[in-house]
Amino acid sequence: MSATVITITSGKGGVGKTTTTANLSAALAAQGKKVVAIDADIGLRNLDVVMGLENRIVYDLVDVVEGTCRLRQAMIKDKRLQDLYLIPAAQSRDKTSVTPGDMIELTNQMRDEFDYILIDSPAGIEQGFKNAVAPADRVLVVTTPEVSAVRDADRIIGLIEAEEKGPGDLVVNRLRMDMVRRGDMLDTSDVIDILAINLIGVVPDDENIIVSTNQGRPVVMSNGSTAGQAFRNIASRLNGQNVPFIELKEESSFIKKISNFFRA
Amino acid sequence: MSNQRISIKGTSSGLIINIGSGVWQGLIEELDDKLADKASFFKGGRVALRVGPRQLTRPQIESVGQILKRHNVTLWAVEGEAPGTQEAAAQLGLETQLAPAKPQNLTPDAPQTGNALLIRRTLRSGQVVHHPGHIVIVGDVNPGAEVKAGGSVVVWGRLRGSVFAGADAGIGEKAVICALQLSPMQLRIADKIARSPADDDSQEPGAEMASIQNGQIVAEPWNG
Ligand SMILES: Nc1ncnc2c1ncn2[C@@H]1O[C@H](COP(=O)(O)OP(=O)(O)OP(=O)(O)O)[C@@H](O)[C@H]1O
Ligand SMILES: [Mg+2]
Repeated sequence: MSATVITITSGKGGVGKTTTTANLSAALAAQGKKVVAIDADIGLRNLDVVMGLENRIVYDLVDVVEGTCRLRQAMIKDKRLQDLYLIPAAQSRDKTSVTPGDMIELTNQMRDEFDYILIDSPAGIEQGFKNAVAPADRVLVVTTPEVSAVRDADRIIGLIEAEEKGPGDLVVNRLRMDMVRRGDMLDTSDVIDILAINLIGVVPDDENIIVSTNQGRPVVMSNGSTAGQAFRNIASRLNGQNVPFIELKEESSFIKKISNFFRA
Repeated sequence: MSNQRISIKGTSSGLIINIGSGVWQGLIEELDDKLADKASFFKGGRVALRVGPRQLTRPQIESVGQILKRHNVTLWAVEGEAPGTQEAAAQLGLETQLAPAKPQNLTPDAPQTGNALLIRRTLRSGQVVHHPGHIVIVGDVNPGAEVKAGGSVVVWGRLRGSVFAGADAGIGEKAVICALQLSPMQLRIADKIARSPADDDSQEPGAEMASIQNGQIVAEPWNG
């Protein structure tokens, strides 16, 4: 086994990196892959909360890097899915306690054992971003369909190219077809038009995400949500499957579409 | 022989560090040692790097810059033959040639064309390219990207960022800006500035060329 390291990043904060990391990790594990998610957002950790593993943290990423504990001790095993693990971020440290070299070394130690290593990057273009991207084989760039988020995504893509990690693949998150139709929101095609990189998924704005985040249970772990299906599709595409994009419609007809999809 | 791989010379353009062939990492270490040896000689100065045909990436140039900085030396220029090297240096805001084109050598109607910089990719938000000659970009200039040329700027793609042409006083208002799709945030030729109209719906399809006519920036269909 040799893991693929996938870093999930964005320029602008709050666009859905952590949500994406949690859901893709769970979806890949549900598809039978061995997955570890690493929270590289040191100081602002919350991947553990979104994954519902917060109460099991003993050691964290900085403890591993500083040798306070062994790697294995910092890996929290998810009880709902086989082969899903989390390495949480430190709560009370600053980003400089980890270097890009540390991240490369850490992921190299795990490559033999896993299929996927997913890294949740902090927002911005500082050290934390460099740490998260250094070990990446692939980079997913998350953006919402807003001009400012797209501008920042473009900037991040430039930096990813400069680090020679390719332009990356794009996830458009929180799309609202009703707003697109009214001309109040950029459509996916407008976003692609600017960024000109491969689109790997479109996730609708979905209140199930908020419910699931509060419960610490990624939406992909339950059936019936549109966002969950979108994340499962991205996971399949990461696995090399050719999954057609679901045609996003207005809220009501969209749900109908999905239920047809399940019946098929 | 091994100590010939890096040589340091004083010239009319100031101190130049020549980097010859060999494994990059080794050369970097050698440079570090050399600087340590002659710390007092370099301290507080600025140097240019001459790298010949070697292709340097942006992180590589940055790492040299950091080493120099540790020795209190500032890197101001990287001169190399590989277009990739020039591009990387320009992106870091460094000069790409040691002796800038002298304005008085230019005949007004035929701006010097010998030192165009070719960039073969899209410039993304936050990326800045400065070059004393002309700039040709095969790719887009995205919103938030910035191009500044002593001479003219040609974009074989969509221009949606900001471009400043004719920054060199010797070329000035003779400079032009061309793009396959001209919908810039801002255009500047010499000291004239044009902003894109707030509503962009009046976008002309097809290539356009912007130039100064009667003291104003005007865009016209580009018919070659
Ligand atoms: N598709 C979606 N539909 C509805 N809400 C969403 C969606 N995606 C994310 N959110 C909500 O947006 C907020 C920010 O999401 P998240 O924490 O994943 O972003 P982030 O990019 O990791 O933020 P940060 O930059 O702070 O790390 C959360 O409250 C989350 O529940
Ligand atoms: Mg986050």
